[in-house]
Amino acid sequence: MAVTEQFLELAANGLVYSSIIILGSIGLSLIYSIAGFANFAHGDTMTVGAYATLIAFGAVGGAGFSILGLPLGFFVALVIGIVVTAAVALVTERLVYKPLDIGSIGLLITSIGVAFIYRALIQVQFSSDSRRFDIDRLRPIEPLVEYGIRITKHDIAIVISAVTLVVGLHVLLQHTDLGRKMRATADNPDLARASGIRIRRVELWTWVLGAGLAGAGGAFLGLFNLLAPRMGFSELLVIFAAVILGGIGSVYGAMLGGLLIGMIVSMTPLLSTVGIPIGGEYAAALAFIVMVLVLLVRPEGIAGEPVGGG
Amino acid sequence: MSQVNAREYWTDMNRAEQGVATFMAVTIGGLLVAMLAGGLDPTYFLFLFGLGGMFALMSLGLNAQWGFTGLINFSVAAFFGLGAYGAALMTATNSPVAGGFDPIFGLVLGLVLAAVFAVAIGIPTLRLRADYLAIATLGLAEVIRTVILNERDLTAGSQGLRGIPGFFENWPVLSTFPEAMPGLRIEIIPGQPVVLELSFWEQLLNVSLLLVFLGVSFFVLRRAHRSPWGRVLRTIRSDEDLAKTLGKNTYWYKMQAFVLGSLVMALAGVFFAHLNLFVDPSNLDPITTFYVWVAVMLGGAGSNRGALFGGFVVVAIREGPRFINELPPAPVRNVLEGIINVIPSVTVEIPSIVLDAGPLRLLLIGLTIILVMRYRPQGVLPPQRELIWPDAIDDDEKARPEMGVREAKTGEIDD
Repeated sequence: MAVTEQFLELAANGLVYSSIIILGSIGLSLIYSIAGFANFAHGDTMTVGAYATLIAFGAVGGAGFSILGLPLGFFVALVIGIVVTAAVALVTERLVYKPLDIGSIGLLITSIGVAFIYRALIQVQFSSDSRRFDIDRLRPIEPLVEYGIRITKHDIAIVISAVTLVVGLHVLLQHTDLGRKMRATADNPDLARASGIRIRRVELWTWVLGAGLAGAGGAFLGLFNLLAPRMGFSELLVIFAAVILGGIGSVYGAMLGGLLIGMIVSMTPLLSTVGIPIGGEYAAALAFIVMVLVLLVRPEGIAGEPVGGG
Repeated sequence: MSQVNAREYWTDMNRAEQGVATFMAVTIGGLLVAMLAGGLDPTYFLFLFGLGGMFALMSLGLNAQWGFTGLINFSVAAFFGLGAYGAALMTATNSPVAGGFDPIFGLVLGLVLAAVFAVAIGIPTLRLRADYLAIATLGLAEVIRTVILNERDLTAGSQGLRGIPGFFENWPVLSTFPEAMPGLRIEIIPGQPVVLELSFWEQLLNVSLLLVFLGVSFFVLRRAHRSPWGRVLRTIRSDEDLAKTLGKNTYWYKMQAFVLGSLVMALAGVFFAHLNLFVDPSNLDPITTFYVWVAVMLGGAGSNRGALFGGFVVVAIREGPRFINELPPAPVRNVLEGIINVIPSVTVEIPSIVLDAGPLRLLLIGLTIILVMRYRPQGVLPPQRELIWPDAIDDDEKARPEMGVREAKTGEIDD
């Protein structure tokens, strides 16, 4: 029974972690397909979101009624954080990436520089120590502890918010003009341009959406763990693993990949319980190995399949 | 080289080369003056030089992979770490496997580990597209770091390995060289003597080891780059399909370049273990990889000279922030305030930002990457005349370079 209990606990935790990874991987995948390069600054964009939310929360304060243990002020701060992150991404795109004429590998390397600058600026302001939101930590929800599941209301809030954002994105992609243009551009930029779609505008919207979701992911990551200048960079490879598993360029693939990779990372401690000598400290390493295997066996990812694609 | 030749050499250089040469001369001259004036500890100067050489060595290795062949390797830190751990595991006093061996065995183990892992990482990843290769190698480097951090029975984990001896410990004359040298006292500016003692001679020994590593790697790589083998690599870099069409097994060539570069990186690791005398998993932090990338990009992909130059600049970026803890730096601010406040009745205080070394370092490295990519993506010292064997132009053929090109091309068809 111990195994079942551990399984349930890890699965519940994995669901929360996966929602955060999904928010990160959707943005990375969108930017990968529309801007055309692997954005190594995406992890640090999440960090920007987390700290922007932290500052906004400090200004707004924990006033108002609370939902799932989170004051209304937090959600206001979250929205501000998302907007700030999107703005930071737009400014970066305009100042750094736009003037370059060096191909996707050059952009990839440049994005590493951008990542360092984000992290340096955050570290100048907040030092390298970790912080947390000024919200009381909650005890695990009682009725669930019986089953071995230890999650707090905050965790539930993270999952619900992530699902809301993801559904919102789905509606946007499927049922709005912008969404159709984005899908067309991701699919075939030249054809899209020829059909009269203003690619530049679509590109900018991609950055706004991708960075905004990453910002939300970062804020939730800060709520789930702690805020630290390295928090986003540490998750970057896990997010890459999710995007590659899902299939680069596919938003729905990124969601599925995020869920799977998040679960793999969270479930790793289970391996030693069932007798495989791989400890929890190898969780991320396992995700990277899965990533390399996917690249080898099926570089187009899960969603590359005609049937399962979105 | 006679003086006439030196002048010819100078006029022969292009502007970038002259700029770099001047910059290097001024920097080294400035450091020497500071040292003789007693402002900079000579031992520390040698230590910095050693670090610069170490980064230059790693840059040479990466240059063989990225510059020659176009392989995006983001696992530089892992190979550096493997070299360092190979050396440390054989020699450290608290090594869980085999401490106390002669450092030469450490050198061998470091290189063997690097070669084995290079093949192991290369087999799955070298077939991948460029950007996937970047992500995959970064991921696998993290796997190696995680293993070294957690397998305490093999690597002593986060405690690290200590008590590593100097490289020349068991050598006949060199082992006692630092003790045998007299303590020198040079006093150029009265009252500020420069003392050269034991630690200086030990450091000098380290630096000479580095110079040997650096010299051997530089000449091997330069020779390789100009050889028929090097030309195949350059063809792969510019057009892999073309190389395949010419009947080359590109995967096999890429593997060779990958292993060769990784061995040079491991050499830097071996040197580091004997310089620092302590090795721990933080030495495999991915940031090292990016430092080396900056060095190679700054120098110019494919340029061995550029890699040497880049290595030293990166150490300036890495170590410089130790001395600057606010922006603008205090002396600059004092001078500026002094100038402004000459006008009576006006007192201006220039605002300053207090900075830790860590973020300033990140900021500088980030800015360097972006500025290089924006304004000089080919690097400061891009390779010149790279397809031409030097004999073909350096002698009397200089006036007719087309001749040299043709000769070099004929050579290419022959192999």
